[in-house]
Amino acid sequence: MSSSLIPPESLARVGEILAGPVTVRIDRREAQRYAYAVGDLNPIYFDDAAAKAAGYRTLTIPPLFITHALVPPEPASKLRPDGLYENSTSVVLKVARMMFGGEEWDFLEPVCVEDEITGTTRLLDLDQKEGKKGPFVRLVRETTFTNQNEQVVARSRQIGIAR
Amino acid sequence: MTTYPNMATIEAGYELPVMHKRAEEAELFLYSAASFNPHRIHYDKAYANYEGHQDIVVHGPLQGSWLTQFITDWAGPRARLLSVQWQNRASAFVGEELSFFGSVTSVDQANGSVALDIYEQKEDGSVLMPAKATVKLEQI
Repeated sequence: MSSSLIPPESLARVGEILAGPVTVRIDRREAQRYAYAVGDLNPIYFDDAAAKAAGYRTLTIPPLFITHALVPPEPASKLRPDGLYENSTSVVLKVARMMFGGEEWDFLEPVCVEDEITGTTRLLDLDQKEGKKGPFVRLVRETTFTNQNEQVVARSRQIGIAR
Repeated sequence: MTTYPNMATIEAGYELPVMHKRAEEAELFLYSAASFNPHRIHYDKAYANYEGHQDIVVHGPLQGSWLTQFITDWAGPRARLLSVQWQNRASAFVGEELSFFGSVTSVDQANGSVALDIYEQKEDGSVLMPAKATVKLEQI
């Protein structure tokens, strides 16, 4: 009863790798397109001299771009009616919809363009809670990002709320 | 020359300059493209309505990146963002004016960093995104 929304086979996946490891080289133009789309025109993303004056090896990137840089290219034939890609790694739950609950990020080392970043995403936590509007599931995916020198550069925890 | 906050003078209670953002359809489309996100609720109003949203939905990660911009614009290029966390409490929609407010809650001289409390709110005063962050400021 305490986990009526979470099938046992999904609960058994806690700790499992959901995606990756996938490695990408951070592309200057993709990072700059992202910065422009956000409206974040910080010179450390666009002007090499400004980035160096600020203590970076070369251009750095908007902090959250790292997660988008890792999105794999996929064909339109895999799009579902809601526009999202079919994803065989999603965790099966007995719920109607999944919402973004929030994110937590730790930034440990600078990330610059041309860095080779590897991301690995695990199912960190999955549990059922009782809210004002009835039971809901809290799902936490943790992604660890490392660079070409095997330093962990960032960790993100994405919290999903499903009911 | 712009001056930025530094550890010698920063104090708890300091309020960050408010930042306003408003995304129209073209901006949201560009963000979908730049973040490789094809989710229909961010460009198709009829589909967003079908999913129960009143209008085209502003991406959660876009608001996350506005949040980091709010911090880094204030802290300056030599500062380093150490951590950030936020909760998405409600959806923001195309054309809405969204405002970011923040203040310094504590100063950690040993670590050279400050803790911030931040929130993003709509024009009606409702809070969309409460957040916390830590940032290492310039040492002077």
